[in-house]
Amino acid sequence: MDLIGLYPTWYEPAIGSGWVIGLIATIHVLFSHTAVGAALLFTYLAYLGYRDDRPELIDFIKKYGTFLLVFSYILGSITGPGIWYSTTVGSPRGISSLIHNFVWKWATEWVFFVIEVVGVYMMVYLVGKVDKATYLRIAITFGMASFATMLAIVGILSFMMEPGMPNWAEKGGYLLGFYGDNTFAQLAIRIAFMFTMTAVVGGIVVAGLKDQVFKTWLARRLAVLGIVSTIIGISLYPWYLSTLPAQAQIVMENRIPDYYGTAILTVLLATIAYFAFTLFKPRMLTASVAGLATLSILILGLFPGETIRESARKPFVAGEYLYSNQVIAKDVPGMTIKSEIPTLEKVGFTHASVFWPESQRDITVNNAHEVGRTLAITACSNCHSLSTTGIRPIAGYFGGITDVSRIKTYLLGALATGNTMYMPKIPLQDKEAEALALYLASLADPTVVARYVEENSKTADAPQKLLPSIDEKKTTSPVARVNVSFPTSGLEE
Amino acid sequence: MDASMLYALRDPLGVPAAPIIFLLLGVLTWALHIAAVHVLLGASSLTLFGSLNKNLHWRRLADAMVSTAKIAVSVAIVLGVAPLLFVQVIYDPFWYTSNVLSAWWVIGFIAFLIIGSLLLFSFYALNSSMKTQPKTRCPGAMLAAIAFFLVVGFIMHALSVQMLKPEKWMEWYAPGGIVDASGRALHAYNFWRFGFFISLSAPVIGLWLIAYRRYLLGRENEDQAYLAFVRRLAMPLISIGGIIALALYVGWMATLDQNVASFALSFWSIITVAMLLLAVAVPFVLSKKIDSGFWGYAPFAVGAVALIVVGAMREALRWTTLYGVHGYNALDYKLHMDWYSTLMFFLTFAVIGGAVLVYLLTVSWKAGQTKGMYVASPMVNRMGTIGISLLAVWIIQYFAIGLWVAYSG
Repeated sequence: MDLIGLYPTWYEPAIGSGWVIGLIATIHVLFSHTAVGAALLFTYLAYLGYRDDRPELIDFIKKYGTFLLVFSYILGSITGPGIWYSTTVGSPRGISSLIHNFVWKWATEWVFFVIEVVGVYMMVYLVGKVDKATYLRIAITFGMASFATMLAIVGILSFMMEPGMPNWAEKGGYLLGFYGDNTFAQLAIRIAFMFTMTAVVGGIVVAGLKDQVFKTWLARRLAVLGIVSTIIGISLYPWYLSTLPAQAQIVMENRIPDYYGTAILTVLLATIAYFAFTLFKPRMLTASVAGLATLSILILGLFPGETIRESARKPFVAGEYLYSNQVIAKDVPGMTIKSEIPTLEKVGFTHASVFWPESQRDITVNNAHEVGRTLAITACSNCHSLSTTGIRPIAGYFGGITDVSRIKTYLLGALATGNTMYMPKIPLQDKEAEALALYLASLADPTVVARYVEENSKTADAPQKLLPSIDEKKTTSPVARVNVSFPTSGLEE
Repeated sequence: MDASMLYALRDPLGVPAAPIIFLLLGVLTWALHIAAVHVLLGASSLTLFGSLNKNLHWRRLADAMVSTAKIAVSVAIVLGVAPLLFVQVIYDPFWYTSNVLSAWWVIGFIAFLIIGSLLLFSFYALNSSMKTQPKTRCPGAMLAAIAFFLVVGFIMHALSVQMLKPEKWMEWYAPGGIVDASGRALHAYNFWRFGFFISLSAPVIGLWLIAYRRYLLGRENEDQAYLAFVRRLAMPLISIGGIIALALYVGWMATLDQNVASFALSFWSIITVAMLLLAVAVPFVLSKKIDSGFWGYAPFAVGAVALIVVGAMREALRWTTLYGVHGYNALDYKLHMDWYSTLMFFLTFAVIGGAVLVYLLTVSWKAGQTKGMYVASPMVNRMGTIGISLLAVWIIQYFAIGLWVAYSG
């Protein structure tokens, strides 16, 4: 039986599943990076506090730690698995790929995370209740465990873009999938920007300090931390870009909106300006100013950044072998994975998909529109909204064309052959292309469906007449099928 | 949906260690997670009840329980990550399908959990000293928090039930042959099953109170009347709560689908009932002995073991359903043994996790038992230093092996 393991699809017409995943992921990046940066900052402040006998520093750890309990360790802890949940429903095979490659790494991260959560509670609630050396040991343990969570996760994030080493596909295995140029470049840049986020979020707590002298001292140090880390982060960016696969570089040059780069650069410069402001006017720092700066980084910095990372890996979502529409695009001999493209070329989505309504397995004149909708949901909706809102609305790519034949020609000529940059190869059968074309045409003009049925019912033996089977056509090349006639339609060019 | 379709949904990557390991870790970590959930729900309910009470003992208990609930929600979330990870490894066809079919509820789970947690923290912040202040501010926040936690629990419950019904999936995904990809419905649930798991909160928090009381006994000059109050409260929570939970369990077993109905009298079902009865009986059998030595902690330890058995029973029912009825064997997952990552996890888990957590929990315990400042003994300090050294070794090996793999050519 020629089956491929496509799951049901979640299609959210208003905003699209992609935006839901992006939103949760972006928020989590802020929470989690702040947590790691703050943990290391706490370690340093605890060391200073006890070395120089400065109880106000320990008191600040308690205040910032209490804030982080909710900010990072409740909201961050929930949005972490929240990314799993959102990707599970938005891209189940994508998250499955990461889970099955790196389950032990994730489990290892979990061990460090447990230590981290126990540690933050102790940092907050044991202030003044344990001796200095013990508190410092707890701080160091907390900082190191927190840093280890970042180390454990970064290679998995890199794998989403590309396997660590190019020979992973041939040899397989965790190490070759996890470690590579991109892993370390990404780690370096994340470390830099996590301190930026720590400094910005820390400003919210510093703003509330009553002691103006201490507030000034701390605000200035956070400002220096923020400026240095932002500059280092910016200077690391070329290294990070150089580690991206060629396909991603092309996509970034051609498909990312121009204003994204400008927005990120602007927010980085604005971040430096903000820190310069808090450096020279520390007493002007208020919770609302720091809160606004945090929000700006979230919306103008992190969201475009995550969107670029998400877009640049297209048409893949994991390991450069799994398409964004969940189809396995390539053989991965190292993991005994076979491409699913040949199966789709052989029997089509309608017969290969597990979750396909039986009444839509065979395409008829009457069900062609519904099959087209199911195809669009299955093969397109992960990246393209089928409505007028949401992520990359698909109707916009056809310029209002309602000519089913023309759309079908495009689908078979450009999409089924994999000749569209940024897009997966979608090897549609001839009749599937017809059905999908009809659905896409109907997005511009719903009446096209009735006309299609009427016209084809005249020429067909009966409304329920099956479209020609694959065996009848005997075509092997999707390109060849572009010119294959469609006997029941009368629409072919 | 026949077995070949279920197998087609499996991830072709396979698994990096024997599937049984993931199954066992899943059961164990789920039991720890559900124990934290029970403490959260029980402590939250006692907080609400106590905060609305004028009795000083109740107010002191509410004060302690809101702190317990606050930590329990963190622990429940953190511990919940592990079973969530392991279920995806060997039950991916079922878990992913169930989630996608109710996608909006899955997203809602995140939102509701955030709201519930924030409400709990808000209540805590507003009532930082309930034991000394007679008035409670905004008890509605605590009530709403409990309601949100129950909704969150119900979503997880429904997802777990849906994954056991592959025969219904197509009907849910494409009713009448038309695909409904909205993910807006919860399709299957069993109130008996949900009620059983939620009701266990009563005996579990009762056992927790026995341990809490024993912890207070370790302090000097503790209020004996308060200790007696805690005991008087704990015992009926354990006994009556335990009986209600068992009644709901019987209801669950009686409403199992016809094709797995015999599970009700299986070994796993019977031993579950036996362990729950034992957990309920232990504090009564120990009677006054719970005031001496570490016996006061024994009832909760037995309760924890009982929850592991409950977890094993839950897994056995899943196995009976998926293998016995649908022909899916989770243990014949394709194996791509990866020794490095497997060994690295177990070393990290057992050696680093063990050493560091023992150190941290020892310090917490001793600090809690000490009036004034706790000064660690040389032995405890050595434990801390060992933990830090192990963390350093882990970080060094991460970079050493990583750089070697990435740049050795």
